[in-house]
Amino acid sequence: MINKLGFLTNISLMRKIKTKWFLLANLLIAFIIIAGLNIDTIITSFGGDFNKKTNVYVIDKSNQIYNVFKSNVDSASLLGQMSDNFDTDQKESDFVIKKYNKSENEAKKILAEDEDAIILVFNSTDNSVLDVKMITQSYLNASKFQILNTALNNTKKILMIEKFNISPDDLLKISEPVEIKREYLEKDMSQKGENNEQIFGFLFPVLILPFFMLTLFLVQMIGAEVNDEKTTRGMEIIISNVSPKVHFFSKVIAGNVFVLIQGGLLFVYALIGLFFRFLVGGDKLGGVTSEIFDVLKDVLAGGIGDKLIYIIPITLLLMIITFISYSLLAGILASMTTNIEDFQQLQTPIIIISLVGYYLATMSTVFPGSLFIQIFAYVPFISAILAPSLLFVDQIGIFDIIIAIILVIITNLLLIKYGLRIYKVGILNYSSKGLWKKMFKALKN
Amino acid sequence: MLKVENVTKYYGDFLAVDNLSFLVKPGEIFGLLGVNGAGKTTTFRMIMGLLDCSEGKITLDNKPIDYSVTDKIGFLTEERSLLTKLTVRQQAIFYGRLKGMNEKDILKRLDELLEKFGVLEYKDKKIKELSKGNQQKIQFILAIINKPKLLILDEPFSGLDPFNVELFKNEITEMSKEGSMIIFSSHRMEHVELFCKKLAIIMKGKTVLSGDLKEIKEQYRKKNIFVKGDLTKKDLLDIDGVIDVVEHADEYEVKIENIDVSQRVFKEVSKHKNIMKFVVEEPSLNEIFIAKVGESYDK
Repeated sequence: MINKLGFLTNISLMRKIKTKWFLLANLLIAFIIIAGLNIDTIITSFGGDFNKKTNVYVIDKSNQIYNVFKSNVDSASLLGQMSDNFDTDQKESDFVIKKYNKSENEAKKILAEDEDAIILVFNSTDNSVLDVKMITQSYLNASKFQILNTALNNTKKILMIEKFNISPDDLLKISEPVEIKREYLEKDMSQKGENNEQIFGFLFPVLILPFFMLTLFLVQMIGAEVNDEKTTRGMEIIISNVSPKVHFFSKVIAGNVFVLIQGGLLFVYALIGLFFRFLVGGDKLGGVTSEIFDVLKDVLAGGIGDKLIYIIPITLLLMIITFISYSLLAGILASMTTNIEDFQQLQTPIIIISLVGYYLATMSTVFPGSLFIQIFAYVPFISAILAPSLLFVDQIGIFDIIIAIILVIITNLLLIKYGLRIYKVGILNYSSKGLWKKMFKALKN
Repeated sequence: MLKVENVTKYYGDFLAVDNLSFLVKPGEIFGLLGVNGAGKTTTFRMIMGLLDCSEGKITLDNKPIDYSVTDKIGFLTEERSLLTKLTVRQQAIFYGRLKGMNEKDILKRLDELLEKFGVLEYKDKKIKELSKGNQQKIQFILAIINKPKLLILDEPFSGLDPFNVELFKNEITEMSKEGSMIIFSSHRMEHVELFCKKLAIIMKGKTVLSGDLKEIKEQYRKKNIFVKGDLTKKDLLDIDGVIDVVEHADEYEVKIENIDVSQRVFKEVSKHKNIMKFVVEEPSLNEIFIAKVGESYDK
């Protein structure tokens, strides 16, 4: 019987892998992942000056505002870069501020040659402290407008303060951002680590997205296969030669081996993507992906890296046994249905359960310490997504994860014990009439 | 030897098979007949272990049928039980391996059978691309791929033309000669009569008639006489003991109450001129079936 289990498992696995669709889907996935990891290189390879600075020509009719404005633009520009790029080392502004002494009409001629340039005309009036006219060739980029707007507002505040005879040095100090010095009572803590942990809290759900995808694959594949064998009545021949138990386990094992292979391939595609990235020096090009890698590098270099030594294996263990839970549940539900449409309806709640876990994982950083979310971290089917992300941000401990693992194992044992009874009756049932009665009766037997 | 002893099956409160018993010895072909819903498929599923008996027991060579003996059994289901996305070769390997065969033996036997049934060119075609008749052939080939000791055929002739029925019949007869036990169901009595020696007719799960086909026919009192000559239907109907007269193209089929009436009919027919045919025949299985099932309905 073990030979037949091995044969059924192998044939089930090969029916998933030895298809042109598996090859095609993986080629597409590989392309998307590799391209996604090198998206900035791809974008820049198509051309364009991404480091071009915007010239701002200032006509200061008051002769008092230019210097204050210039220093404010540099500050506002740097603040914008910091919030966008998490890069505190960048010192250059995106703008080149130039004082222009000629008339407004002369300045407009510059726009004919430099379409991206901005002309600012400062008029000092009695009614308002700062009266500004902005002239551009066409619409202005929103982030550039925001930076200039912030700088102008700060300039206005400073001009008001200046009326109280504050020195220019003091004025600059007022316009500079406040530096917060952090102190941590626990050892091995740093501000960089704190920032990274906050960022990683948001990043973790993104990193576990493949788990969610693979769960979908698993549920759909097992359901479709059991359903196909049922609807073609091939099930009668199969079950007349192997027990429902052997058949059930063959589907569960094949499904899980498949998702592990697929998961491994996703990892390989990511490595290939990274290899290309470093090969072309793309990590120096900036962009979102390189920022993620910077965070990951910092995470690994800092104290958090030590956590990964146990977080990774424990997360993988929790994920694998949760995959088994999903496959057991999918197999049991598929055995009850009489056609693929019924199964598609029945798989919706399974997907929603998985989605709940995913959303709770993303919300865990918004509601830190939420008891509600922490309780869900123990719930089988959800814990594989939620618990590791909570563990990472110290909202739960390793002991909680062990409890979650034990609960998933208990759930799997219960699914095997009671689910098999349903499976045995379900796979040879071709009528939806009195279905629940039949299933409850099967449970009691 | 397959032994079905006092087997009863309930689906909830519904009695599907009621105290059914029969025995099939090596080399025997046993027919299980009955109208739709009589309990034939349920009986086969119980033999295959797909359903548990509510009462009674089923044994093969005095041992209960379990997964340790299923490698020796071949099963053809009433409905197509083929995985239509697979090719004939893949399907054969799939079912053959489930029967404990190795791939080399499966392919050798498959070639042999495909050639015998004239469908060798379909070996690498997908099942779904085949016609219904050819799918039925493949299903039959797969049922016998392991040279089963016990072969169960649920409506094996459905969707087949007379030529293919003959092919099936020859193969079944050959297997029976080699010692296989064969049990099958059919609605088509003429198919059963062709090669079946023992049978049981079941109605609403109950056996209404069982035994050796020859004995059943002999015991069945009503006979048929075929007459050809210068006489009218009325001449025949007027004879005492004649139940009915069926007019064929150039002869009459006279249905009589029992064999004793034949003498009276012969006497009467002899009075007429140009009598070219007078044959007393056993009734067909179809007649017996309708008579028995009809009786059972009446009860």
